[in-house]
Amino acid sequence: MTTRAFSLRFRRSVHNRRLVQIALLILFWLLGEAVVRLTGLPLPGGIVGMILVLLLLASHRLSLFSLKRGAEWFLAEMLLFFVPAVLAVVDHEELLGLLGLKILLVILGGTIAVMGVTALTVDLCYRWRERDDRVEPLLG
Amino acid sequence: MIASSLSWGNPLFQGFFWSAATIGFYLTAKRLYRRWPYWWLMPLAVTPAALIMIVLFLHASYGDYMRGAGWLITLLGPATVAFAVPIYEKRALIRRQWPVLLIGMVAGSATAILSGWGLATLLGLDGTLRLSLLPRSISTPFALEVSQDIGGVPDLTAVFVVMTGVLGAILGEFMLSFLPIRSALARGALLGVGAHGAGTAKAHQIGREEGSIAGLVMVMVGLLNVLAAPFLAYILN
Repeated sequence: MTTRAFSLRFRRSVHNRRLVQIALLILFWLLGEAVVRLTGLPLPGGIVGMILVLLLLASHRLSLFSLKRGAEWFLAEMLLFFVPAVLAVVDHEELLGLLGLKILLVILGGTIAVMGVTALTVDLCYRWRERDDRVEPLLG
Repeated sequence: MIASSLSWGNPLFQGFFWSAATIGFYLTAKRLYRRWPYWWLMPLAVTPAALIMIVLFLHASYGDYMRGAGWLITLLGPATVAFAVPIYEKRALIRRQWPVLLIGMVAGSATAILSGWGLATLLGLDGTLRLSLLPRSISTPFALEVSQDIGGVPDLTAVFVVMTGVLGAILGEFMLSFLPIRSALARGALLGVGAHGAGTAKAHQIGREEGSIAGLVMVMVGLLNVLAAPFLAYILN
């Protein structure tokens, strides 16, 4: 078998296998962690791994289809990975009384404000830009 | 009885038990939610609630649970890497609209800090607790960094971040249904800035475009806050 045929076969097998792609994503994450350990970058390893994958995709060294199915699985099941973190509440009994209620109110009120301000700002700016884009060709 | 208590003490069995319980409840909750999509049946609300009851019922501790199922949190690392795919797929939209997203992120972050400070003061919370509440809207690794920089307690911040994510993913649906928003850009930004990873997972359920924008915005807003943290620490002290 020529190397070309082999590399084609290898690619096809990666494109079709979700499990291989999941392993590949874990590998990129470990690579990111290693980079953070070695350089002391103040960033999480996952982010460094993500930037690495984006660079490889943008320079066409990595095909989107070698990761797509694995990535879709990770993103679809991501909520599961948050569940154990919520259990930390068990260890903070002080959060169960009045103090907890106050904190809940801060988080509820704060989150409503953040969501409202963010969404309305983005929507407003977006509409302005879209309108300007439509007006410009008429003027120019 | 003796046999069961013996096997219960076995760390291997405990690890298997907590992992299986977490994954089992999650899959069941997901099926229930698909069938009856009420907000109180959201997997992110139902699964931890059921697990907390089991932990309390068995007189187990958070440490016991984490030794068994903590490895699931580790998978948030590769899940973050996975965001490269939707971000790359939507690169044209992002290249075109980045100034809009940046303005939204700055406005959202300022609101998060000001509203956190204001509401906490109003309710009589102060000191390190109030400081720990400020970085609650960004995803955990960034939030811990910011919390440390401004003099908060990273452990507490971690709990507040998760609370924000869970509540935000639920609130986000309500907000989207009554705010006059037309663009997928604003819907994605609402969930990404307001409820980090949990909001992004929610955004993926709403649509591809919303999901990729939320993912990008979540990462960028985290970076933005880490960069702004020394400045924020200077103002606060």
